Amino acid sequence: MRTISRRDFIKLGVASAAVMAVESQLNPIAYAAEQLIEGGRSVNRTSGLPRSFLPSTCMQCPAGCGIIGYVEESHLVKIGGNTKNLSNQGTLCARGQAGINAVYDPERLLKPLKRVGARGDGRESGAWEEIEWDQAMEEVTGALTSLKSEGGSRKLVFLTEDRFEDDLGTRFTHAFGSPNAIGSLSVFGSNKAVANQITWGADGDMPDVANSKFILVFGANPLESNPQYVGMARRFINGLSSNQAKVVVFDVRLTNTSMMSNQLHYVNPGTMGLLILTMANVIMQEGLFKRSFIEKWTNITPEELAGNLTQYTPERAEAETGVEAAVIRATATEFATTEPATTFTDATLSSHISGVQNERAAMLLSIITGNIDLRGGLCLPRKFDLVEPEPAPPVPAPSALSNPPQFPLASQQVGVGTFKQIKDLVEPVGVLITHGVNPVYSNPDGGMVEDVLRDETLIPYHVAITPFFTETAEYADIILPETTYLEDYNIEVRSSPELVPMVGLRQPVIQPLKETRSFYDIATELATKVGGGMEKYFDFSSVDEYLAARISRIDGLTQIGGLDYLKQHGAWYDPRSRPDYGAYQKAGFNTPSGKIEVKSQQLAEVGAPILPTYQPLTFMGQLSERDMVLTIYDTALQTDAYTANCMWLSEILHDNPVWINPKTAEEMGIEDGDTVKLTRPSNVGEAKERSVTTTAYLTEGIHPKVVAMANGVGHTAFGRIAQAETIPYKEPPKVLRDPNTELVWWSERGIYKGKGVNPKPIVPISLDPVGGGEAWNDMVVTVAKL
Amino acid sequence: MIDQGPRDAGQARELAKARAALYRLLSRVFVAKPTEELLRGLKDKEMLDALAAYEVVFGPDFIAAAEEQQARELAVEYTRLFFGPGPHIAPFESVFVRGEGEDRPRLWGQATVEVANFYREAGLEMAEGVTPDHLSLEFEAMAALAQAEADKRVEGDAESAEQLLAMQDRFCREHLLRWVPALCREVDRSSESSFYRNMALLAQNQVRTQCGENDLIC
Ligand code: SF4
Repeated sequence: MRTISRRDFIKLGVASAAVMAVESQLNPIAYAAEQLIEGGRSVNRTSGLPRSFLPSTCMQCPAGCGIIGYVEESHLVKIGGNTKNLSNQGTLCARGQAGINAVYDPERLLKPLKRVGARGDGRESGAWEEIEWDQAMEEVTGALTSLKSEGGSRKLVFLTEDRFEDDLGTRFTHAFGSPNAIGSLSVFGSNKAVANQITWGADGDMPDVANSKFILVFGANPLESNPQYVGMARRFINGLSSNQAKVVVFDVRLTNTSMMSNQLHYVNPGTMGLLILTMANVIMQEGLFKRSFIEKWTNITPEELAGNLTQYTPERAEAETGVEAAVIRATATEFATTEPATTFTDATLSSHISGVQNERAAMLLSIITGNIDLRGGLCLPRKFDLVEPEPAPPVPAPSALSNPPQFPLASQQVGVGTFKQIKDLVEPVGVLITHGVNPVYSNPDGGMVEDVLRDETLIPYHVAITPFFTETAEYADIILPETTYLEDYNIEVRSSPELVPMVGLRQPVIQPLKETRSFYDIATELATKVGGGMEKYFDFSSVDEYLAARISRIDGLTQIGGLDYLKQHGAWYDPRSRPDYGAYQKAGFNTPSGKIEVKSQQLAEVGAPILPTYQPLTFMGQLSERDMVLTIYDTALQTDAYTANCMWLSEILHDNPVWINPKTAEEMGIEDGDTVKLTRPSNVGEAKERSVTTTAYLTEGIHPKVVAMANGVGHTAFGRIAQAETIPYKEPPKVLRDPNTELVWWSERGIYKGKGVNPKPIVPISLDPVGGGEAWNDMVVTVAKL
Repeated sequence: MIDQGPRDAGQARELAKARAALYRLLSRVFVAKPTEELLRGLKDKEMLDALAAYEVVFGPDFIAAAEEQQARELAVEYTRLFFGPGPHIAPFESVFVRGEGEDRPRLWGQATVEVANFYREAGLEMAEGVTPDHLSLEFEAMAALAQAEADKRVEGDAESAEQLLAMQDRFCREHLLRWVPALCREVDRSSESSFYRNMALLAQNQVRTQCGENDLIC
């Protein structure tokens, strides 16, 4: 115990105050003392108004974090994190907080719109007329009813949004009699899911990074973008800070993740598969593998595997991947001798024509070292199953659109190819419904998607259900203004990064704005009006009945109140449950052999290599001096086509200059800030658009043969913030004047200014022959100064 | 001899003010690298004397060094100590304190959630994007409560002031005291810089004082 006199203490206070008075750079940690009150009541800092709060789930990206909406006088004033959601535990990213911008987007659609001009004309063109809901529903019902009465039920195509668990859209489509409820996963990365499914019988993985001692990252970037984003980033940082895990990253770009790692090694584009298999070879040759695990839990012997891998020598890998043989040996050895260790991949490694092979190769490293589903290893995903409420509509026989026959293993569907199939007349379309998706922006070869959507012989009738006037909604015949995720209900389940299954609820934190309607209301009303038997699948007394049925088999939850509990707390997981590592030891893996299928009979049946194999990209050898590989990367600030009209986000990220290595730039005579044109060589695939123009950003943070652009900006519709326009629409069609839109300061093009450009339309549709997912990262361009 | 409390309302007010200022300083020191002004301020005669009362003593090397150079060196030290790369001290309560049911301390774990809940109960609002249990934020919370207490004492609302003082004591006991001494040890072990070792010591001493483990006498 120490003593200090009050007088001295007060002196210390005075001196401290004096220091703080001259301290010019006081970092604005901005801890604002709210009006101090007792008892947990929240009030507004300035007005003193009471605030209510309601838990819900964020949908600004697929992660589904728990949020709390703070409401004052029916107005949503703030979105905070819900500490009861096991995944994010109170953390949110910028997009989650910017959800307010989405609800109060001044350009939100608040009344149904009917097209009176030509397809594809913009909102301000006079091509659109506001109509009443009654009329809108009547017209859509008319189109669906006549399709049905002509026996053309199967001609309904419903493009659903995977970001929302769009099971209601699927239910609607099946109830109508069409198999064609098509998700968008293959646009964003189904190759990984297919590879995981084939190999260990689950369509994903969950690296237990918080408990790992060595994390080997291949092209993934959990600190900026990941399907479980905030929850996974939290655990990743956890592993680094409280577990002092070592992290080694192989990538073509300096990401936020690689900045927090111990090592970053650039890899020649397209050669990651070779690098990984070489590490596997080193581990086998050096005898560092776990014999007992391989023998017991895989369908291959160590000898057979080792024999097959000998072709991948570190010397060959050094020549092709650009990573020194010594680094490959050392990393492989450290990975195999550190316990526990895990690999970490996301959709980038598998967004290649050989994507399934690449992902299987990465899994192999965790498999041969026995780091499977153990604490700190590569774990199976854990997720609650939801119930399809009875009566469940029968699933109509598959069509070439719902299950393209050339991809029998791609159970996740191949929506990325749907528009090409429609163009090639594979199946006729009567009515197209797009719900939430924006393929004109999101898909490769968006120009072709536009052509198909414009063509009334290919798409006779197009209904867009969306809160926003997107690039795709421009090609609708009728637009039904949907609520945003903050005014709607749904049950949300995700694989939890905490490895304990969890269920979340999305509920309206405010009432639907103006005349917007929830998807549940729209689908139910349409089903009832169309009738012909489909109405019985939508015969719920209320949305509550539907939601309660969805969670009726989650026992622990139903015991404590089910839906009522979720409405109060926003999320539920069994507080007693702990990760059940190694559960496979009882039940085996969900594969035909019950083991991990390193050798895959399923792959043999579709004529693909049975063992993880490196398939060099055909174009790699043929790259000319000027050819570069383009990678389109995701950030933590914009989610593909969905967030750019949020002021708070676009203010930070609105432009996407192309990253070029200074050495490469010098050879090409390009300087920082130059206007450059990226062009796809004429012999690389087919897409309507061939080039994009942007600004050069020179940085050592990129491999010399790679150029990179951020995804999520460069809109041609959606709104003035997304499009960086300060000029109000001529004759504003009831668009509110809004202080945010007046503040768009980046309209003029310049360095870090301008609205950016969407490079995806120049990418040809190019699919992994097994996974059916787009090979985004095989894109070759030439770069030239304009 | 244990002394029973401040002699009069005036002194209670001055003590609250002093606490607010000291917590603000501590919050500042751990939130970012020091500026030249901050270093100059700490070397002020009055400050050095006041610190000595807490047995926080800077050597002649520290006092004589040119602030410009010193600020540059301490910027590197700050990053190395608290950010890495490599082994570092993450200044979050949840890195030091294991929650009930947690097998080991977890960054943004149970401790973080408890701290966030305390802020909410106390009516304190965080800025967007900050982590509740960062050392700086916890000190900032103490500063806000102490300042509110001082304000109430100025208004003559002794009852509210006492409540606010009790909240400081509680937060300090339930949170800061659980981990600041351990953090102080780590800094002592890992830093060559007298600046961070002394500041950690100051933090520890003040936390002990607030919790009644050090004696405040007249
Ligand atoms: S990661 Fe961000 S955008 Fe995605 S759900 Fe969580 S808060 Fe929302």
